[in-house]
Amino acid sequence: MADKAAAIVAGLGGAGNIEDVEACITRLRTEVGDPALVSESELKSAGAHGVLTSGSVVQVVVGPEADTLADDIQDLLG
Amino acid sequence: MSEAIDTLRVVSPVPGTAMGLESVPDPTFSAGMVGPGVAIHPEPGQEGGQDRKQEAVSPITGMLVKLHPHAFVVMASDGSRGVLVHLGIDTVQLAGEGFDLMATQGERVEAGVPVIRWSPGAVAAAGKPSVVPVVALEASADALTEEAHGAVVRGDPLFVWE
Repeated sequence: MADKAAAIVAGLGGAGNIEDVEACITRLRTEVGDPALVSESELKSAGAHGVLTSGSVVQVVVGPEADTLADDIQDLLG
Repeated sequence: MSEAIDTLRVVSPVPGTAMGLESVPDPTFSAGMVGPGVAIHPEPGQEGGQDRKQEAVSPITGMLVKLHPHAFVVMASDGSRGVLVHLGIDTVQLAGEGFDLMATQGERVEAGVPVIRWSPGAVAAAGKPSVVPVVALEASADALTEEAHGAVVRGDPLFVWE
């Protein structure tokens, strides 16, 4: 799980690019500093079912493990 | 005990009008990103009736593996099939306001047992869609049959997961 969290952080442009992360059952709702650093293909390789970007808000659909992933990501951002 | 997985009959957790998931105003559900399923749209008159609450019940018998104020997942006894009930769209942003838990995460629930009491009208008044997607998590699109269409009440057959 920690590897997946690290891969998602990388796909979002790295820890420095992530301003906020929260989870809802099926997805991670994140806010990034620079949307251009986000790689949809990297996120999908990390296991995302889909990526929805709207400005600086990037939603990563990961399925029901979203809550656990969000915690792991928070640890990596800490 | 046979190793074959039994057909899972999923029932409606809320009353309303059953339609395909493509009718849900959120691509996570309408594009089937977390699995196929059925969406239940609120009954007429529920959109603005703020005070009226209803109970959302478990769609299958199993373990209540995830319970948030606005959504829950019940895992079937085969341990591999989970059904998600999501009350409204983007309702995580309401931070539980107006949702009352009637069960505990980790407990076993029977189909038809109340899990959350909520008000679709209050959700709509907060500017969020009150449609309820019911999703067969990570199932393949062709795993579901007998999807309900039209009026359903709590406990009515909603879909069958082979």
